[in-house]
Amino acid sequence: MELSKPWQIVRDLAAVIVTALFTFPIFWWALTSIKPSSAIFDKDRVVWFDFVPTWINYGVTLFGQSRSQIAIDSGIGMGVAGEAAYDSRRSIMESIVISVGATTITVIVAVLAAYALSRLRFRGRNAFLNWVLGQRFMPPIAILVPLVLMFKFAGMRDTDNYYMGLVGLMVLYSLINLPIALLLMKSFFDDVPKDVDEAAMIDGATRWQSFSKVVLPMVRGGVAASAVLVFIFSWTEFLLSLFLTTGIRTIPVKIQTFVTSTGNEWGFIAALGTAAALPSFIFILLVQRHLVRGLTLGSLKE
Amino acid sequence: MASVTLRDIRKNYGNLEVIHGVNLDIADGSFVVLLGPSGCGKSTLLRSIAGLESITSGDIEIGGRRVNEVHPKDRDIAMVFQNYALYAHMNVKENMSFSLKLAKRPQSEIDEKVNWAAKILNLEQYLARYPRELSGGQRQRVAMGRAIVRNPAVFLFDEPLSNLDAKLRVQMRTEIKELHERLKTTTVYVTHDQIEAMTMADKIVILKDGVIEQQGSPMDVYDNPANLFVASFIGSPAMNLLRGKVKGLHVVTEGGVKLPLPKGHAAKEGQSVVYGIRPEHLEAGKGFDATISVTEPTGPEIHIYADAGGEEVCAVLRERFDLKRGMEIGLAPRLDKVHLFNAETGIAIR
Repeated sequence: MELSKPWQIVRDLAAVIVTALFTFPIFWWALTSIKPSSAIFDKDRVVWFDFVPTWINYGVTLFGQSRSQIAIDSGIGMGVAGEAAYDSRRSIMESIVISVGATTITVIVAVLAAYALSRLRFRGRNAFLNWVLGQRFMPPIAILVPLVLMFKFAGMRDTDNYYMGLVGLMVLYSLINLPIALLLMKSFFDDVPKDVDEAAMIDGATRWQSFSKVVLPMVRGGVAASAVLVFIFSWTEFLLSLFLTTGIRTIPVKIQTFVTSTGNEWGFIAALGTAAALPSFIFILLVQRHLVRGLTLGSLKE
Repeated sequence: MASVTLRDIRKNYGNLEVIHGVNLDIADGSFVVLLGPSGCGKSTLLRSIAGLESITSGDIEIGGRRVNEVHPKDRDIAMVFQNYALYAHMNVKENMSFSLKLAKRPQSEIDEKVNWAAKILNLEQYLARYPRELSGGQRQRVAMGRAIVRNPAVFLFDEPLSNLDAKLRVQMRTEIKELHERLKTTTVYVTHDQIEAMTMADKIVILKDGVIEQQGSPMDVYDNPANLFVASFIGSPAMNLLRGKVKGLHVVTEGGVKLPLPKGHAAKEGQSVVYGIRPEHLEAGKGFDATISVTEPTGPEIHIYADAGGEEVCAVLRERFDLKRGMEIGLAPRLDKVHLFNAETGIAIR
């Protein structure tokens, strides 16, 4: 139904207001990240745009520059000591390794398991699906302490072995995300008619070929969606990473260390926070095309 | 090319037997239609021939080779599905060449065969398109193209025209028939549409509840239905079936209508029978009286639905009478076209 002119204006206005409400915090965060301390901590007024932008917060957190050195170079004066603690380059690497690893593991396992659950008939299939769903019922914090012990026994604490610590978080994030990725992928596989598998089989494909050459390409959208979900979860997860690791500091945990006994480094927090939002954003842009459902359109009657 | 033989095929789902011992010979190069209402087991039977469904007992032979345990890809068959089952992420050319690529045929041969199939099916200008960019009829042709490039021994069609609109269905029916005339590949075709079956088949196999009710050429099945089910299933409008008892050279219905019988009929005096007469074998004239309730002029003929002693009778008349609801009309059955069925068993009395 076509809306009348005044209502169209009301609708557009509402859309603008809602969008503004949701994007404002991100905008403010990004703005804060390029403010000098004086603009962030002005207690008399809210500083909007009347400040001299600075890249010092990015320089320190992302490029490991020395804050005092930058301050001297730019003639602002002496900085605060202890800036090495704000160099987040290793955290970024660790977050990337863990998130990419967890995403890869989860997507591979979920796709294979979902195909089997969608296509093969075996005893206990429904019970298994319910069990998978059940994994999501308990909040992770409820099992935190036993989990730390289990990881200790399994040798996956970073205090024992740095690399096993990385693997530990990968495995943990994969386990947490597997149920949701599995159910999502299963619904995508269920949407592809079985006739397509059968047509491929009659065309001479083995079970594996009909999966890899025909059905899997038809659910690209689902694979992309699962990958996005897992990646964003792993990238932003805080609690488990905080408890399970000591040497490894993923970005959310690292940011939390910027809240110090001598003050909150809002500039660094904003800079790293803004930078950390980018990978998810880029990732979503990359797979956006595949996220559009209805890729199977055309193989069906309609 | 090959013949297909089904020997005492049975299929169970758990304790439920859905195919009850089907025997069928499909001659090399013939076009056989499996016809029946939904749930009669015709698709299951076809899928068993394809190897997509395992059978509980019996033997399936293709070209004299027992294929019960043979994987679908090794049965030398091709199948066209009701919803086409095209590969959505491949264009028309890739769809058609998929099987040849899997078989690792040289590219020159693949190109040659795909072009040949595209030419036959009028798909030449669509080779680069994706299924979603094609109309229903074109998708159907791609599905057929995918089947013919392989030059299989047997074609299997599973209700391929059900998703097309009426006009396209008639057109594709002709195309499939032409394709068969041209390639002479043994074809097994499943449908619930008796017009499709009548127009296309060399042999119709009528199934109901997992049992073959009758098999034969279309005209044979039409002219000599073996039982009440076949009589009522084949033909549109359906055959008139009136219950009554034999009295001399008549069948008298409960409503007292006297239906004439030919001399030398095979029914016994006093026997309970079902009197069958096709609508086009009723002529306006001296026979039994009926009151017209509905007239449907179709152009070439008029369909009349009338009440005869409490039972509805349909007649198809070629003459253009000026008939209206409520009028009395005399309907005379053509005696050589009368069918009699045993009222208890439903089997034709001959």
